[in-house]
Amino acid sequence: MQKAYKLMSVMAMSALLVTTMAACAGNNGKNNEGSGNGTNGGTEATAKPDAEKPGLKRLNVWQNDDYNAYPVAKLLEEKTGYKVQYDMLPQDKWAEKLNLIMSSGEAYDIVTSYSDMALYSDYAQKGALVDLTPLIEEFGPNIKAAIKPESMEALKVNGKLYAIPTTVTYEINSSILIRTDWLDKLGLSMPTTTDELTNVLKQFKEQDPGGNGDRNVPLTIKGDQSMIDNLVGAFGIANTWNDVDGKLVSRVMDPAYKDYVAYVGSLYEQGLIDREFVANKDATAKEKFASGVAGAIVVHWADIPAISDSLTKTKPEAKFAFIPALKGPNGEAGFAANAGFDRLTYVPKASNNPEEAIKWINASLETETFKNMAIGVEGTHYNVVDGAYEPIQPIFTDERNLANNYMAGTDEENYPQYWQARVRKNPVMFEAFSFLNNETAAEAKIKNVLGLAPYMQQYSKTNQQLGTMVGDYTVKLIAGAESIEGLADFQSKFMSSGGEAVSKEINDWYATTK
Amino acid sequence: MSKRNEGEGALLGTGGRRWKLIRGNLDMYLLLIPGLIFLLLFKYTPMYGIIIAFQDFNIFGGISGSEWVGTAQFERLWHSDEFLQVLINTLLISLYKITILFPIPIVIALMLNEVRRMFFKRTIQTIIYLPHFLSWVIISGLFLNILSPSGGIVNEIIRSFGGEPISFFTDNGLFRSLVVFTAGWKEIGWNAIVFIAAIAGIEQEQYEAAAIDGAGRIRQMWSISLPGMLPTIVLMFILRIGSLLEAGTEQILTMYNPLVYESGDVIGTFVYRMGLGQQDYSFSTAVGLFNSAVGFLLIVIGNMLSRKFLNRSIW
Amino acid sequence: MYRRTAKDFALDGLIYVVLVMMGLITLLPFVNVFSKSISEEWAILAGQVGIFPVGFQLDTMKFVVTNSQFLNSLWISVLITVIGTLASLLITALTAYPLSKRELPGMGIVIVLFIFTMMFNGGIIPNYLLIRELGLINNLGSLIYPALISVFNLLVIKSYFESLPTSLEESAKLEGANNFTILFRIILPLSGPVLATIGLFYAVQFWNDYFHPMLYINSSSLKPLQLYLQDIVMNADTSSALDKSADDLMNVPAEGVRSATVIASTIPILLVYPFLQKYFIKGVLIGSVKG
Repeated sequence: MQKAYKLMSVMAMSALLVTTMAACAGNNGKNNEGSGNGTNGGTEATAKPDAEKPGLKRLNVWQNDDYNAYPVAKLLEEKTGYKVQYDMLPQDKWAEKLNLIMSSGEAYDIVTSYSDMALYSDYAQKGALVDLTPLIEEFGPNIKAAIKPESMEALKVNGKLYAIPTTVTYEINSSILIRTDWLDKLGLSMPTTTDELTNVLKQFKEQDPGGNGDRNVPLTIKGDQSMIDNLVGAFGIANTWNDVDGKLVSRVMDPAYKDYVAYVGSLYEQGLIDREFVANKDATAKEKFASGVAGAIVVHWADIPAISDSLTKTKPEAKFAFIPALKGPNGEAGFAANAGFDRLTYVPKASNNPEEAIKWINASLETETFKNMAIGVEGTHYNVVDGAYEPIQPIFTDERNLANNYMAGTDEENYPQYWQARVRKNPVMFEAFSFLNNETAAEAKIKNVLGLAPYMQQYSKTNQQLGTMVGDYTVKLIAGAESIEGLADFQSKFMSSGGEAVSKEINDWYATTK
Repeated sequence: MSKRNEGEGALLGTGGRRWKLIRGNLDMYLLLIPGLIFLLLFKYTPMYGIIIAFQDFNIFGGISGSEWVGTAQFERLWHSDEFLQVLINTLLISLYKITILFPIPIVIALMLNEVRRMFFKRTIQTIIYLPHFLSWVIISGLFLNILSPSGGIVNEIIRSFGGEPISFFTDNGLFRSLVVFTAGWKEIGWNAIVFIAAIAGIEQEQYEAAAIDGAGRIRQMWSISLPGMLPTIVLMFILRIGSLLEAGTEQILTMYNPLVYESGDVIGTFVYRMGLGQQDYSFSTAVGLFNSAVGFLLIVIGNMLSRKFLNRSIW
Repeated sequence: MYRRTAKDFALDGLIYVVLVMMGLITLLPFVNVFSKSISEEWAILAGQVGIFPVGFQLDTMKFVVTNSQFLNSLWISVLITVIGTLASLLITALTAYPLSKRELPGMGIVIVLFIFTMMFNGGIIPNYLLIRELGLINNLGSLIYPALISVFNLLVIKSYFESLPTSLEESAKLEGANNFTILFRIILPLSGPVLATIGLFYAVQFWNDYFHPMLYINSSSLKPLQLYLQDIVMNADTSSALDKSADDLMNVPAEGVRSATVIASTIPILLVYPFLQKYFIKGVLIGSVKG
């Protein structure tokens, strides 16, 4: 009996050992979280988290920095009085992990993800989200003031609002970036029409101002970029769906499509567009421009810092600028202008404190708090120069660079202005950005009307596929692998692969907006 | 405590000797308890969970609160084009891995056996075993890096020969080859160890006798080393066939992306994407069950073969 | 000693060339990525970094290894590996010992029950649901408990115990020692090498695990190194399918940072590699001979 007792105690000991070790493992993470937050506990005398205010858990998109340690987290804690613990989704395949978390019942109070209308509406319809309408009515005066009614309207699912949007802050993404030192060398001026562009590229090809010999490329684009920004606008098909006589028509069904393809196809045929563009990846095209081999490239303005750094190292004399909206043969011109949402923030049903979550969002959208979060304190983080917010470096980057990830909704009136301070971090980038967004005439910004459209099932489901299909076909037309004679066949294929259903759906909606 | 054990003992045996054995070793049975708890909880409970493959599982209702649908999920599986593609991908990747990657370690072992300079041999072994210890995340990171179309060394080399850069990770035509190559890069050296040991087990006199008979070294490799390794080769091959449907889930999970789902999605990744990513629990459990069942069948057949030809069981 | 013929020399030449190639193919990716991690960013973008670094600098490396998230993930990985390995070794040895006594009634059945799980398992979804039911989501226990016993390792230790001479145990029994004392006082001290080997097996498995943390861990503060790493190294090329906003484009981790993160995460393995090599080879051989 004594033996058995001894044995049992040893057994119990070892079982205990295992469980305590495991408990250590479990606790440790929590301790760590605590210390992570503790390190940024400031010296300023500020409102300590209220005893009555519960801690909130928030899930955000990936960023390459610790959410809990970043200065904005501390700022928000001070201003709102809530202690928020942040987690983030992975960078890679985030939607799958988000699904996993939503279904695991993990009690997040606030979730912010990239704007994926299909995903959002799916959650809303499955009953995974809290209806925010009454909560905003009761606890959200700042939210109502900050977010425009049309933004809210676009997010309604079956008449109820389940998310607060972060709207896009700028309109124009990309244009053709051209080497102005090449222009100067050849005594050419910045092209303003498609014909002038053809001529400039011809000169680039024939005279080889970069001295690249065989490798010389007048204009490089990437393989999936058959719809060249700026050029599509010159032919009146700036957006994927454009208004033709009051109806939304896909580019490929647009009468102007043929002309566009003929023009770009002829550039390719003459060797003015990168001969190898079909095989170009995003990075290959950029590298050609950054190494000085290509005279022009189609890029997003946000890509400019990387390109600029690399280019000035390899070709110190290089200068570049965006080409303004080119006039097409019929005098049309313009850029596709963004509209819509960048992020969506919602409150899952699993949340323990939906009311507090809304109160927190409301507090974060208080005008001054929001401004402080977005660009910091005047004199510390920014100066006002000629009415514009000029960032003070490096503190602006160190303390506010990632502020946009903390936002749950924005002050839609003022944020685009605040936001430009972020672009000013890099003067070269700002110049390019400003040229496209601030100096382009309003009539050349052709708004994507579908950006603020509500969730439409067919459209969310098939629009991307259709886009790829049209893109691939257009590449083949430009590269001469398909003949324009087959267009009618492709159009009927397009319509039968979902184009017809989408067209009907979005036009039914479009008719209601007028 | 002792009462319960008596009960167990009575269940297990009736003979007096058995009873005595149990009685004399009660502490042995106590030792087994943590292992048994583990076995039941983490190995057999999930097997019970397989029944959701016959339900339309609702995560909030649990197994008892979900509707039974019989074999509907399996019918869906047979008619799913997507699953067919996934099965084809799995088999293709797995077969490439077997046909290409299985023989190479054997050749490496034969070659290393011929090396007389011990320092060289050790160095090569040390180098080629290393990747085995790295995680797939690191290896994917390494290869993403060197194969990158922007400044990756491989594409720089391709370009210096006048070729066009290739985006290996997003090309459906190349993705499977990439998976096979990286798997080889990671494991070929390591897999040679067993064969090196098998050669080391061959008696040295055989080689000496062959040399006296005038057999050259190639001849010796062919008629002594290789036959000497044969039982090991057959055993390893049978084991390998047993995991035919495991094309490398973790590897592919760290390497693939939506652009190559078409060629790279295999059963393991598909189950993850459908089941956990899209909450199609029952369907993906059915896929998982199919996978486990085929795997089980393959191992049982493999073992039968092993018993027949090698007179040994593989476990 | 036989005389080397011309054919032998040719054969040797071929063998050396092939083996050196193998070695180079294995090493080059490391060398290249290492060079990138200590090169200037512009040189990497311009595709100038090959075997040797261009524009030597250590700032990137410093930035990476002082990053609080990197350090936290490293700590989590060390924690899981140390605790997981010790706990696994203990439970595996505890279980293997009784199972090595085949003459005891019932042991045979238990062994079969274990072996069956090597061939047939519940699959990803039932395992996930179990962890969820146990409340282990977002808990480091989810990475340790289900991996406590690897059946393969269990069988290796069991065979080793079976191979030990029984005389020692018998004399201890005559002196009145119970099986517990025998295991801890006699058997385990005799099993140093096999325990070291199996311990390393477990350690490498815990250290390299990516799949389970990906499924079960949500909190940034609980992410092991592999999970952290996957986020950093995922190339912009493959994730550009998502339309990222300008803010994201402005904050993509630089190529140099990715390279340095990969290298920094490889270093812990390199440090213990001499031990790994020594004991792992033993382990593989025990496994394949006894298995």
